[in-house]
Amino acid sequence: MIRPEFAEENPGKKIIMLGNEAIARGILEAGVVIGAGYPGTPSSEILLTLAEMQKFYPYLKLEWSVNEKVGFEVAYGGSMSNVRSVAVMKHVGVNVASDAFMTACYAGARGGMVLISADDPNCYSSQNEQDNRYFGLHALVPVFEPSTPQEAKDMIKYAFDFSEEYQSLVLFRTTTRLNHGRADVILGEVKVIDRDYGFDWDRSRWVCLPSHSRILRLRLLERLEEISNDADEFPFNSLKLSGEKINGIRYGFVAAGVPYSQLLDALNYYGIIDKVTILKLGLVYPPPKELIKKLFASSDEIIVVEELEPFLENIMKQIAFEEGYSKELTIHGKDIFPQNGEFSGEIYLENIARLIGLSYKKVPVPENMLIIPPRLPILCPGCGHRSTFYAIKQVENRMKTKFVNSSDIGCYTLAVYKPLEGIDTEVCMGGSIGLANGIAKVQSSDNPVLAILGDSTFFHSGIPALINAVFNKNNILVVILDNRSTSMTGFQDNPGTGITITNEPGTRVVLEELVKGCGVSPEKIWVVDAYKLNETIEKFEEAVKAEGVRVFISRHLCSLVESKQFRAQQKIPPSIMVDQEKCIGCMICVNNFGCQALNFNKAEKKVSIESSVCRGCKVCIDVCPQDAIYEEME
Amino acid sequence: MKSYSLLNVGVGGQGVIRTAQILSYAALLEDYKVRTAETHGMAQRGGSVASFLRFGTEVEGPLIPRGKTNTILAFEVSEAVRIFNYAGPETVFLINENIQIPPMIHQMGMDYPKLTEIRTFLKEVSEHIYFIEGIEIATSLGNARTMNVIMLGALIGLDVIPLKKGTLEKAIFSYLPSNLHDINKKAFETGIEKGIELRGSSND
Repeated sequence: MIRPEFAEENPGKKIIMLGNEAIARGILEAGVVIGAGYPGTPSSEILLTLAEMQKFYPYLKLEWSVNEKVGFEVAYGGSMSNVRSVAVMKHVGVNVASDAFMTACYAGARGGMVLISADDPNCYSSQNEQDNRYFGLHALVPVFEPSTPQEAKDMIKYAFDFSEEYQSLVLFRTTTRLNHGRADVILGEVKVIDRDYGFDWDRSRWVCLPSHSRILRLRLLERLEEISNDADEFPFNSLKLSGEKINGIRYGFVAAGVPYSQLLDALNYYGIIDKVTILKLGLVYPPPKELIKKLFASSDEIIVVEELEPFLENIMKQIAFEEGYSKELTIHGKDIFPQNGEFSGEIYLENIARLIGLSYKKVPVPENMLIIPPRLPILCPGCGHRSTFYAIKQVENRMKTKFVNSSDIGCYTLAVYKPLEGIDTEVCMGGSIGLANGIAKVQSSDNPVLAILGDSTFFHSGIPALINAVFNKNNILVVILDNRSTSMTGFQDNPGTGITITNEPGTRVVLEELVKGCGVSPEKIWVVDAYKLNETIEKFEEAVKAEGVRVFISRHLCSLVESKQFRAQQKIPPSIMVDQEKCIGCMICVNNFGCQALNFNKAEKKVSIESSVCRGCKVCIDVCPQDAIYEEME
Repeated sequence: MKSYSLLNVGVGGQGVIRTAQILSYAALLEDYKVRTAETHGMAQRGGSVASFLRFGTEVEGPLIPRGKTNTILAFEVSEAVRIFNYAGPETVFLINENIQIPPMIHQMGMDYPKLTEIRTFLKEVSEHIYFIEGIEIATSLGNARTMNVIMLGALIGLDVIPLKKGTLEKAIFSYLPSNLHDINKKAFETGIEKGIELRGSSND
C-alpha cells in the first residue's frame, strides 16, 4: 500500500497540500479519534483525506453520517466520551446540525470538539452564501478562521487543545478558496493521546433539561468571558503596528481568513505594507479587546476587509463606541467592500487605491467584444436523471398539463436548464417533499404535485417529510432518483450502497422497504430502471395518475461511477450509432433529450454520436421516433 | 523571483486540476511559496474550469487580480477568451488549438465564434498569443492524453515560466505511473521543441 505524503510520520517535511488535506492533517496531528459529517462542497475532501489516513492510523473512527445533524451528534457523543472529535460540513449543513449545536454549546466539550463549517462565498457549489461566523456569536462559541493551508493545519491542531482547556466547542470556519487551494505546508508531529476513554454519567451536564440548562448557561457565559479575556494572547492573532502616515492619515487594516492573505498581496503591490497597521485575526470571535484598542490608538482610519456580512466591522464599531473612539475614528467596511460574492484580486486593488488616493488603472476592454457562449455544468452523458426527466416530460405532454416539480439539492438541479427544464423549486436538502406537502394542499388536481430528489438527499432529510405526507394525507408523488451515489460532492457512498467511508461493508438500507416503513402502501410504490425509457414512461404515467402518497423510484447507477467500474473491469460499453439514411434531422433527440454525445451536423441536417463522449446507455435509441439510432453489434 | 502568476483554464475533464498539482509541486521543488485556487464540485460537470497558480518569494493569497496574469495556459480555445480580462498587454497566452462546442448553445441561439475571430480579438488583448496543436501532437506521439505535458513543455520552450526544466520534469513524473514515463518524457521534450519553434511567432 503506497503511503500518501500527507499520512507520513515525517515532521518538518514540506509538501504541497490542498487546504482540505491540510485541515485533515491537523486533525490527525491533534490525536482526534472520531470524525463524522455529510459530504458537501467545499468540505468533502476533509473526511475523505482522513479516510485515506485511516489505513495507517487504524484508531481513527470515521463515518459519513446520514446528515449533518447526526454527524455533529456522532462527534459530540465522542466528545462526551472523552475522545477528540470533529464534525465536518459545508455552511448550509450547519443549519441542519444547529439544533444539536445550539444546546451542545451549553454542556461544552469534554474531549476536544471542533465543528468545521466550510462557507462558500459566491455560491460556487451552494444554494446560498450565508456567513457562519454568526453561528459562533449565536451559540456563544469561539470562531477560528485560518488564512492559509499551513495556518489551517496548525490552527485546527491547536483548536483541540483549546477546546479541552476551556471545555468549549470550537467553530472552525473556512471559505472555498482555503478549502480548494493548494499551498506549501510543513508537516508536524502526529500526537497520540493516552487517556481513559468512555462515557462519564455526569447527568447534571449531559441532560439539558430546564433546571440544568439554566446553570449550564451561566457556565457557558463564564467560558466565553474567560476566552474573551485571553483573546489578546491567542497565538493566531497578531497586530503589526506602523506609525507612518499616507497623505497625512494613519491607516489600520483588520482582516482574517483568505481576505487577510489577499490584503497582504494588495498592500505589497502598492508597496505600502510597512506604512499601515494590520490587525490579523485568527480568532474572529470573541474579539481581542486590547489589541483592538492598540489598533485604534495608532490609527485615524480603520478598514475592515471581510467577505459577506459586516461581522468584524460591527464588532469594531461596538468596541470603538464602548472605548470612546467613535468620534475621532472612521471605521470603513461595507461602505467600501461589497457584501455579496467573493472578493476577486482586483477588488482589493481597486478599493484600497480609491480609499488611500493611489492610482489604479483598469485593464482596457477591447472595443469589439467577442461573445463566448456559456459552458454551463450539465447532466453527464448516460445520466439516469436525464432519462427520468425526459420520461416525466413525455407524460406531462401526453396528459396536456403541467406538473409542479418541487425539487432538491443534487446533480439533478442541473435539469433546470434547457432542454429538460424539469425542476421548479430548489431550497434545501429534503425540501422537495416538504414543499410538495404544502403546494399539494392548494394546487388544482389538474396539476399533479411531484417531489423529485436523489437517494442520498432522501436519506438525509426526505424521510420525515414523506411520513408527514402519509400522516396528513397530502396528495403527492415522490420521485426518488436513485443513482446509488452522492455524486455532486464526489461520489460518496450512502445508506443505499451500504459501503462505509473507509470502504468497509455496512448495512445497506433498501429504499423500497424504507418507504413502505414510512407508511406508503406497497401498491403505490413503483421501481424502474432509468435506462429503460419506455417502461419508465409507462410506469410513471400510472404513478402520476394514481391518488394518495406515491413513491416512484427511478434507479440506475451514476454513469460516472458505472464507467469507472467498466474501465476497471475492462468492459466496453455498447457502441451506439445513427443510421444516416433513417435520420431525418427532426432534432428531437438533440432538442428534447439533449445528451452531449448527440452531434448535429448543420450542413447535412443529420445527427451522429460522438463515441468518445457516449457511455452507451441506449436511452436515445428509444427517444428516436425514426428508429435511426441503434446499437452496433460486434 | 518575487511573484509569478499563471491561470490555467479548460473544460472539466481536461486535467486542469492535475496540471495545478504538477506546477505547484515543481514550484515547491524550487523552494518557492505556492498558492493555488481551483474549481471543484458542481461547476466541474462539463463546465468551464479555472485554476489560479501563484508562486514566488512574496505571495500570500491564491487569487490573481484581473489584468495581472503572467501566463494564461488554455487547454481549449474559447476558454482563453472567456477569461481574457485576467490578461494585460504583457500576458503570454499559450492556447491548445482544441475546440469543444459547449452543449446546448444552438438551442440557446448562440454560436461558437470562428477561430479567426478569436485570434483577432485576442490580438487586441495581448501581443503574446501562441497557439499549439496539442492534441494532434499528442496523438502523433501515440497518446492523446499527453496534451497537458506537451503544453507544459511548450511553456519551458517559450521561456515563459520561471521553473527549471529538470524540476518540472521531476514533478510531471511524480504524478504518473512508471509505465507512462517514457511516452511523457517524449511529450515533454516535443513540447519544449515546439515552444522554441513558437518563439517569435506570436500573433502570426
